[in-house]
Amino acid sequence: MSYNIAVVGFGLTGRLTALELSLKHNVTVYEAGDEQALDSAGRVAAAMLAPLAESVFCEQDLALMGLDSIKRWPRILAQLDEAVFFQQQGTLVVAHQQDKGDLQSFIQRLKPLAEHQGHQLTGLQISELEPELTGRFNQGVYLPCEGQIDNQAFYQASFNTLKQRNVSFKFAQQVDVASLNLQQSFDYIIDCRGLGAKSVACKLRGVRGEVVRLYAPEVDLTRPVRLMHPRYPIYIAPKPNHQYVIGATEIESQDKGAATVRSTLELLSAAYTVHSGFAEARVLNIQTGLRPAFSDNRPQVSQQQNVISINGLYRHGYLLAPSLVADAIARIK
Amino acid sequence: MSSVISDSFSIYGEQITSRLLIGSALYPSPAVMADSIVASGAQIVTVSLRRQQSAAAGDDFWQLIKDTGLKILPNTAGCHSVNEAITLAQMCREVFATDWIKLELIGDDYNLQPDPFALLEATQILFAEGFKVLPYCTDDLVLCQRLADAGCEVLMPWGAPIGTGKGLLNPYNLKTIRERLPDTTLIVDAGLGLPSHACQALELGYDAVLLNSAIAGAGCPVTMSHAFKAAVDAGRFAYRAKAMPEKDVAAPSTPTMGMPFWHQQ
Repeated sequence: MSYNIAVVGFGLTGRLTALELSLKHNVTVYEAGDEQALDSAGRVAAAMLAPLAESVFCEQDLALMGLDSIKRWPRILAQLDEAVFFQQQGTLVVAHQQDKGDLQSFIQRLKPLAEHQGHQLTGLQISELEPELTGRFNQGVYLPCEGQIDNQAFYQASFNTLKQRNVSFKFAQQVDVASLNLQQSFDYIIDCRGLGAKSVACKLRGVRGEVVRLYAPEVDLTRPVRLMHPRYPIYIAPKPNHQYVIGATEIESQDKGAATVRSTLELLSAAYTVHSGFAEARVLNIQTGLRPAFSDNRPQVSQQQNVISINGLYRHGYLLAPSLVADAIARIK
Repeated sequence: MSSVISDSFSIYGEQITSRLLIGSALYPSPAVMADSIVASGAQIVTVSLRRQQSAAAGDDFWQLIKDTGLKILPNTAGCHSVNEAITLAQMCREVFATDWIKLELIGDDYNLQPDPFALLEATQILFAEGFKVLPYCTDDLVLCQRLADAGCEVLMPWGAPIGTGKGLLNPYNLKTIRERLPDTTLIVDAGLGLPSHACQALELGYDAVLLNSAIAGAGCPVTMSHAFKAAVDAGRFAYRAKAMPEKDVAAPSTPTMGMPFWHQQ
């Protein structure tokens, strides 16, 4: 049976929901911004798929959900009209000498996920995986099941595909889900607003993140490198065309203003200490985003009559969204 | 010996009974932070304000901390100059409506060691502006004396560099400061990793300990919070009970009189 369904919010979860539902139903997308959804956290993210590394900080069930999502991504991307970069060649975790203690505790706290686990590496083994890091680190961890996608390409391709499928778009429309429900005859409303859903009843907070995108023709890393850092994990994620995403900071603030010099210095010096080829890289942009999070930093899928909400993905958007969206859609009878 | 209930110490005239001051950074989630703070029994929670968290921007996070109902001690973490520290102290006073300030002024980036000279200067300026200053300092006796002379009723010498978890690197220095400044409230701040470190500080007669990473960075922060609470109580009881003197020669606790002669040497 085909329904009239509204998807409110055109960030990462909104796009995934619309892609899935538009195969079978009449979908209308509402978005406060334009088709770029510039305010959405998924636009700014490094788009890492790192269930093992995140298992150090989150509960086992979320890490396992991340593993499930990784399996879903290739099928999601295959239905798009344009190719979107997806990679699953693992992550390399390294630490500078003074952060060795942090690396040790990271290793101790890695939770084995089904048959997946981390492998400790010597300096020689690191240089076999990433020849350009030869001599830089003498200890590291390889997390083979992990991956990443190109989020900018995904945002563009998902929009183009949805346009082809005759999804109707209502941009620049800040809608209130309750009144939308009264005014329009939607069978279901999927609330994917992220921080836009924040209200007295919905206790979300924004967690600020800053991300740098570089063009670095002299750097040839083949997989994401995670660098131990005293305040937040920093990823150096290679995207197509010698672009690298360096991120992200994590600050308990809802300030959406431009990145600070301190954060920029931290991110860029982290990249430079991993590979000196970043010295001559070009800074393409430095973006700021707010991650929507509940107080336990766990995502929620909830339902009130015909309104289904997906929210609170915190720093795990790309890692968890496919599974959460599948969970939400399974509630449509 | 006074009763357990009346055992308190003073922070600028305010009587505090919990001898564990807890930080609010680096927890896996705000929910875990809130549970850890409750488990610690702390009455004072330290918060680190950054420029991007002023006014409305950080409101939701600050609300979570305000909801704990504890007294807030803002700090000037990350400041490297007197001017930076004073600006941040003024921001803190506005955001948290308190004249308490934990003054942190870093002199060396590698071990986050306080800059004693800038610290003294900033302390004097902040007192003139009406603040009640709790300086985070090294375990140098003369620095501590100068800070006390400047008007500090509370001093917070380090146990070890921030976040190292090494415990009390120089118990002798800490003990000397305790003996020489008997009327000053002394709190060991930074460098603790284990509950036994906190216990040792209290055994030395320190009034309290302040820590963050040791709890927030533990595998289970809430359980570690319980452990530190117990350790601080143990150390304080031990200090008040006055430990037996240390001796170099064994002294039997069982009298040898009446022991069969073939057991005696």
